[in-house]
Amino acid sequence: MNDSSTSQKNPMISRRRFLRGSRVLLGLPFLPSLAAARGAIKDPTPPVRSAFIYFPNGVWEKDWVPEQTGADYQLSASLQPLAPIKDKVLVLSGLDKKHSHGGDGHYAKTANFLTGMPVNKTTGKDVSSGGISIDQLIAQHHSGQTPIPSLELGTEPVISGIDSNVGYTRLYGSHISWQTPTRPMAKEINPRVVYERLFGRKLTGDRATNQSYQNLLDFVLEDARSVRRRLGRDDQFKMDEYLDSVRSVEKQIEFASQEPNQRWEPKVDPALIESMRPGTPHDFRQHIQVMLDLMVLAFQTDSTRVSTFMFANDVSGRNFSFLDGVQGGHHELSHHENNEQKIAQYQLINRWHVEIFTAMLQKMDAIKEDNGSLLDNSMVLFGSSFSDGNRHDPDNLPILLAGQGGGRLESGRHLAAEGQVPLCNLYLSMLRRSGIDLEQFGDSTGELAGL
Amino acid sequence: MQQWKQYFDQNIRSIIESRCLDCHNGEDADGGFDLARFPDGESAAAQSEIWETVGKKIRLNEMPPEGSPQLNDPEKGKFYAWLDSRPQTDLCSKLATDETQAWYRGVVMSRRLTRTEYLNAISDIVGLSVDPQFSIPSDGAGGEGFDTNGDSLFTSPIHVEQYLTVANQMVDRLLTDPRSPKHADDTPDRIDRAQERLFGQMVDVAGDSSMGTTWDQLQSLEDESLIPQLIQRFGWLAWRRPLQQQEQERLHELYKHGRQQGLEQLAALGLPLKATLVSPNFLFVVETETEKGGVQKLTPHQLATRMALLIWSSAPDEVLLQAADRGELETKEQVIAAARRMLKDPRSRALGENFGLQWLGLSNFLTTARPDGELYPEYDSSLAADLHEEAVRTVAAIFQEDRPTHDLIAADWVLVNRRLASHYGLEWPETIGTTTEADANPSWLTLPVEDSQRGGVVTLGATLVSTSYPRRTSPVLRGRWLLEELLGARVPPPPPGVPALEESEANHAATLRERLEVHRKNPECAACHNRMDPLGFGLENFDALGRWRTEDQGQAIDATGKLPSGDTFNGPEELKQIVLKRSADFDRHLTRKLLGFALGRSLNKFDDCVINDCMKALAENEHRGSVLIETIVTSYPFQHRYFKAEESNNE
Repeated sequence: MNDSSTSQKNPMISRRRFLRGSRVLLGLPFLPSLAAARGAIKDPTPPVRSAFIYFPNGVWEKDWVPEQTGADYQLSASLQPLAPIKDKVLVLSGLDKKHSHGGDGHYAKTANFLTGMPVNKTTGKDVSSGGISIDQLIAQHHSGQTPIPSLELGTEPVISGIDSNVGYTRLYGSHISWQTPTRPMAKEINPRVVYERLFGRKLTGDRATNQSYQNLLDFVLEDARSVRRRLGRDDQFKMDEYLDSVRSVEKQIEFASQEPNQRWEPKVDPALIESMRPGTPHDFRQHIQVMLDLMVLAFQTDSTRVSTFMFANDVSGRNFSFLDGVQGGHHELSHHENNEQKIAQYQLINRWHVEIFTAMLQKMDAIKEDNGSLLDNSMVLFGSSFSDGNRHDPDNLPILLAGQGGGRLESGRHLAAEGQVPLCNLYLSMLRRSGIDLEQFGDSTGELAGL
Repeated sequence: MQQWKQYFDQNIRSIIESRCLDCHNGEDADGGFDLARFPDGESAAAQSEIWETVGKKIRLNEMPPEGSPQLNDPEKGKFYAWLDSRPQTDLCSKLATDETQAWYRGVVMSRRLTRTEYLNAISDIVGLSVDPQFSIPSDGAGGEGFDTNGDSLFTSPIHVEQYLTVANQMVDRLLTDPRSPKHADDTPDRIDRAQERLFGQMVDVAGDSSMGTTWDQLQSLEDESLIPQLIQRFGWLAWRRPLQQQEQERLHELYKHGRQQGLEQLAALGLPLKATLVSPNFLFVVETETEKGGVQKLTPHQLATRMALLIWSSAPDEVLLQAADRGELETKEQVIAAARRMLKDPRSRALGENFGLQWLGLSNFLTTARPDGELYPEYDSSLAADLHEEAVRTVAAIFQEDRPTHDLIAADWVLVNRRLASHYGLEWPETIGTTTEADANPSWLTLPVEDSQRGGVVTLGATLVSTSYPRRTSPVLRGRWLLEELLGARVPPPPPGVPALEESEANHAATLRERLEVHRKNPECAACHNRMDPLGFGLENFDALGRWRTEDQGQAIDATGKLPSGDTFNGPEELKQIVLKRSADFDRHLTRKLLGFALGRSLNKFDDCVINDCMKALAENEHRGSVLIETIVTSYPFQHRYFKAEESNNE
């Protein structure tokens, strides 16, 4: 019953303990039993969906953080696009990621965007984001309730190479979702594959194919176990990743083979799903658009309840000259050197990201569910892993939280946290609103006050 | 050794204290390089390899930086004398003995195939190309900067999903009547050849060997006695070794199960074939360990796999596997002969495409290079693809055509197609003096370049584009690229809190060169920018698309530069000559990269022995590229594995 949590947890713990004593263990969140979650199948109300959306290279804070706090605040220049949906968004400022104050400017900040724990400085050996990421924790909690436990989406392949000057592997800049502290979740960047996973009937289609896949997987699981026995200890960890991944796919197939259960069944027109079949995007704007649309569709159809999305990998140098008033690449302009012209362009790029985010929220808000809109039943976090791109400061992080988490969030405000409040306090609050009752998450010191 | 330590205490320590410690001191040391760790000869000798780096910086006048107190001549004399008298310890003779077990400690060696290796291997084994609509997730890098690094290869559920669907489709496409292909990429001929190659021999023996294709013979198999052989044959290729009896039986069970479900023979045969392609025996480089531990030689099949992954980024072919089966991959001569054959095979293009592009930082070129469409409307995906291809072919040529490694720095040839020739302003020969019809109009040619402006990897279009910003070139990025990727030098990021360019002054300066000169007045900036910027300015004749230019926005290009070493140059041709002076650094760096790629882990000091062997072999063999591969595949760490003994106590 509980095999996913034990199989993932034990090797990892023993490895961390083996490698560096119990220090890291303290940061490990308690993995809740899945039994409680499975008991709650018969629930007629729409579930809470969670999304974590990352954009690279920080923001120009002066045009980001609103001047006033509370419900009666004026949108800042970069947040202006939120105007039509302002009452469904919570603007958060003053949140801090203390474990990112050391390390380099990017990698030590992005890999732990959703873990809040220290990123191990390495060019490849003992890769670690310090903890499981919040999205994966929620996904494990909801395991078995949706066809796909979680969706990890992006638009760019993993950054290749290592940065030998700062001593980090660049893969840290490409992963925000971590199944365990030492295991990043690969993200899917091809919209057609995402669509196929969700609706393509490739894995979840007819019974005969499912049965044959299941036989294959049973076979290779046995293979892997027998290979594993003959491997050295370090190699065994890698075989465990494979074993767990095979089991996870098996579960998806089992889920598809089950008779439809009594879980909440959204009504979605098959013609709509068919109309969303993606082609090949011809530029990154369209690519981002398609991926976000697919995420919304996945939530709408209750194919999954948790998703992450990276607008781009960290240090992305995408050319934003398509925006009026911008001439140059994202990362280049984020190093504005306090030059007014560059700041103005950097700010326009920040604002563009908010525009795209707003459009997504509006789509979610237009999808009606039993007790409000899809947006109302969601918690959509949007942010970057440091504040000013020129300084790479991991405090006063630019974070927005949209939706009301099924009535569990009071949106339409600017909440300014005072005095180095951990970002993980927000995460702990979100976890508890997802029905996961943890004492602590990451470096949290308690729930975010005033939420 | 004692003398060497004493000399440090008496002569060197005071130099370091007065010339270095201002910046290189404590946790915040510049460049993360803390020299206060060495208060005496004892500690200096404990990490004696560090002094090589220090010596190199001082000899090149890179340190102390301009504007800081310099070493005077007697000080330099003492320093060099001390460096040159460093006692050598002979590590190579102690390579991987039980005393030096730290060698492999904690390093993942039985790694997953990378995305590239997986795709190559599966299409080589099945004999059909993988549908590009499948999307195997890309891999990050680790170790020496390559995706082959075992520790940084992870497996997620979406990998397994894709492995399943790819295996399913590939086997279905293979086990079909060639006259009715199941996929648009397949032709009857191609399917027939794939079936013939995989199963032809067996069905010829078993069948009535009358007329008919392999498919016809497979169709008319009268009994099922041949099935285990077909499974064995496919498994041998996919798992890169003969299957054990028990493995073969388990696969056969899958077949029988399919038959019980009412499947036709060939449809049922598909099941075990699919299983072999999703098994960890295919997906992972399986190098099992014994309980005894210690250092052991790889089995011939494990060695064959390592060789195929290095040279082809794919699985071993039949010839290589047969050599392993027969025990003919044992002697140095046999291994070298196998490597030579593999380098001549077109699949060794992978050394350019996989190793080469990762080394040069160009593997994501097609997705990350984004010249501005408004300024450079001529840049499109097909030009990008040509630039990418040029980079692949140029690096691969060093190994395939056995050219000298120094051609990568400065060559008197370029490898281009007609479109790139015109892009670069080179003349494309209309008639080529070859006799065969096939060669009369090749799409890619090796063209001689007389003025030496182009040639080598620095002036590859892909390099020049990727070291530019969307709207302009960047001498800083180009200089840094040249130092780091070509010469293996370290260029630390700017120290925190230092403004990048002093605007007040810099904004009034007209050209980028003037702005950067202002920048370098700050000694903190100068330390690195004096090394990088001049190199980059030497390449200013190449615009952000890699085309030749003599002026930029109305200003004549000034491609002169002066390096901290005092060397001056004007333009790319002279720049490359200066880089050639450091060709030993280049060779060492290239070797290091190639060995790191080959071993799939970070190198350690024992691996320096292999690097030194490679340097020696290069010097003795006109620096031919194949020598590097031969030396690596016959080296001790490539042919051996350290095995950790089973520990009784797991803590």
